[in-house]
Amino acid sequence: MTVTVDQEKVLRTYAEAARTAHDALTALDQLSGDGDFGDNLREGLDGVEAGLDARPGEAPFAVAAGVFLDEVGGTSGPLIGLLFQEVGRALAAHGDGREGWAAGVREGLAAIQRVGEAEPGDRTMVDALAPARDALDGGAGFADAARAALAGARATADIRARRGRASYVGERALGAPDPGATGVALLFWSLARVAEPDADLGSVADAVGWPAAS
Amino acid sequence: MNRLFLPAEAPVDAALRGFALAHPGLVRLHEDPLYVTARDRHPGRRVGLLSGGGSGHEPLHAGFVGRGMLDAAVPGRVFASPHNRQVYEASRAVAGEDGVLHVVKNYTGDRINFGIAAERLRADGIPVRRVLVDDDLATDDAETATGRRGTGATVVVEKLLGGAADAGLGLDELAEAGAAFAAASRSIAVAARAQTAPGRGGEAFELVDGEIEYGVGIHGERAARTVERPDFEDLVDRMTQQVLDALTDASDTVLLLVNGLGATTLLELYAVHDRVRHVLGERGVSVAGQLVGTFVPALDMSGFSVTVTSLRENWLDWWHAPALTPAFPVSETAR
Repeated sequence: MTVTVDQEKVLRTYAEAARTAHDALTALDQLSGDGDFGDNLREGLDGVEAGLDARPGEAPFAVAAGVFLDEVGGTSGPLIGLLFQEVGRALAAHGDGREGWAAGVREGLAAIQRVGEAEPGDRTMVDALAPARDALDGGAGFADAARAALAGARATADIRARRGRASYVGERALGAPDPGATGVALLFWSLARVAEPDADLGSVADAVGWPAAS
Repeated sequence: MNRLFLPAEAPVDAALRGFALAHPGLVRLHEDPLYVTARDRHPGRRVGLLSGGGSGHEPLHAGFVGRGMLDAAVPGRVFASPHNRQVYEASRAVAGEDGVLHVVKNYTGDRINFGIAAERLRADGIPVRRVLVDDDLATDDAETATGRRGTGATVVVEKLLGGAADAGLGLDELAEAGAAFAAASRSIAVAARAQTAPGRGGEAFELVDGEIEYGVGIHGERAARTVERPDFEDLVDRMTQQVLDALTDASDTVLLLVNGLGATTLLELYAVHDRVRHVLGERGVSVAGQLVGTFVPALDMSGFSVTVTSLRENWLDWWHAPALTPAFPVSETAR
C-alpha cells in the first residue's frame, strides 16, 4: 500500500511548528546571523496558510513556493522556496507518497546547492537536507527521514561555518545548531507527524533541541 | 552633511522612473517588480540578455539596455542585490527562443538571487545560463573562496555579448563566449576619496592627506592597503602594468576602459587615458576600442579604474556591432 500524505496538512503542521519554535530559532540566529530567521520562517508560513485559505484549488506546495520565493526576506527564505518548488513539482509528477517526496527533496537539495554552492559540513540548511535525502533515497520512511534531518541539524552545532551568514562570526556560533538547518529539519518533522502520526518523534522543542536541557 | 540629493523614500524607484522618462524611445519601465526592458531588439537575437545588481553604479546596468546590448536590467537598492522576483519576472519578459543569459557581477548576494531566479526559470522550462564577471585584481587571492569581484569589465562583457547575441549565437555558445570575455578582462581601481555613505551621509571611509586607496572596490570596499600617493605618471603606469601582467595570454590587441568612479572629472579621465595609452604603446599593445568616462562608478567616489580586455579573433566585430542604448557611446560602434 502506498502512503499518500496530505500536502496541505504538512504545511499547516509546519506553520504551527514554526510558531512554536520561533523564539528558539530567533535566539539561534542571533548567535550566528542577523536574528531574523525565526521571524522570516514564521511569517512566511503564516503567509502560506493565508494563501492556502485564499486559493484552496491550487497545489499547496506551489502556493508555498510562491510565497517564499516572492515575499520572504533574507537568503534562506527564497532557498526554502526553491525546496517547496521542487517538492511541489515532484509530488505532481510522482504522487503524494514516499517516492514523490524522495524525488522532491533530491531535486530541491540539488537546486539549493546549485544556488548556494554549499556542501554538507558547511553549517547550512544543506546539513539537514542531505541526510533526509539520503534516508529517503535509501528507502527509509518519513519518520526515519525526519530523524536523519534532525540529527543533521543538531550536528551543525559542532561545525564552524564556511558559508552562509554564520561564516562571518566564526567560533562564536559554535555549540548552537544552525538556525536554517534546524528550521528546515522541522519540515521533515512536520511531514512525519502527518504521514506517521504514531511514530515517536518528540515535541517541537525536542526537535529543535536548543537551548539544551541542563 | 550628506552630499547626495536623493528622495528619502525609494530613491532607486524614482531614479529608474526618471531614467525611463529620459529615454522613452529606448527603454520601457516596469514598476512591480522594478526593472527596465529594451523597446527594440535585433531580429537575429535568439537569447535574451539580462543584467542587474545593486544601484549606485549608473549608468550600469540600465544605461546599457537597448538594441545591440541588454534586453533587460534589474536594479537592487543602493549597493544591494536585486530580489530574485525582479530577475525572474524580467527574464520571463525578455527570454528568447533559446532562453535567457544572466550577466552577473561576482558578489555573493547577486550570485544567490540570480541563481534562485534561474532555478525558477528552469522549473518553467526556460533555458538559462549565467556569465560571471570577475575582473578586479585587488581581490585576486587564491586563498578566498569568493573569488575576484566584478567591476568595470561588466560594460565590456555586456557590449561583446550584445554583439554576439545579435549575430545569432545560441545560449550555450553565448555563455561560453561570455565566460571567455570575462576571463580575458582585468581591472584595478584607486580612490582619493570614499563615496558618500548612502544612509547617514559623510564619507564611507576616511583617507588622510597624501594617501590613496589602491585596489578599492565599487562599493567602497577598502583595499588591502592604503598607500602613499605616487606621482600621477607613476600611479597610472603601475596600474596599467599590473593589469597587463595579469592577462597571462594577452594578445597584442585590446579593448580599454578608463572608468571614473563617480566624482572624477573627464579632464582627469582623459589625462589618465593619455598616460595609459603611452604605457600600452611602450609595451607594444594596440588598442582596438576604448571607452573613457563614468561607466561603472561607486556612487560619488573620487577615483578611477583601468580595465583591459585582451581580444581574440572575431570579438572586435561584436564590439563594433551596432548598439543604441542610453549610455554606450555610438562613436564606438559607427565603424
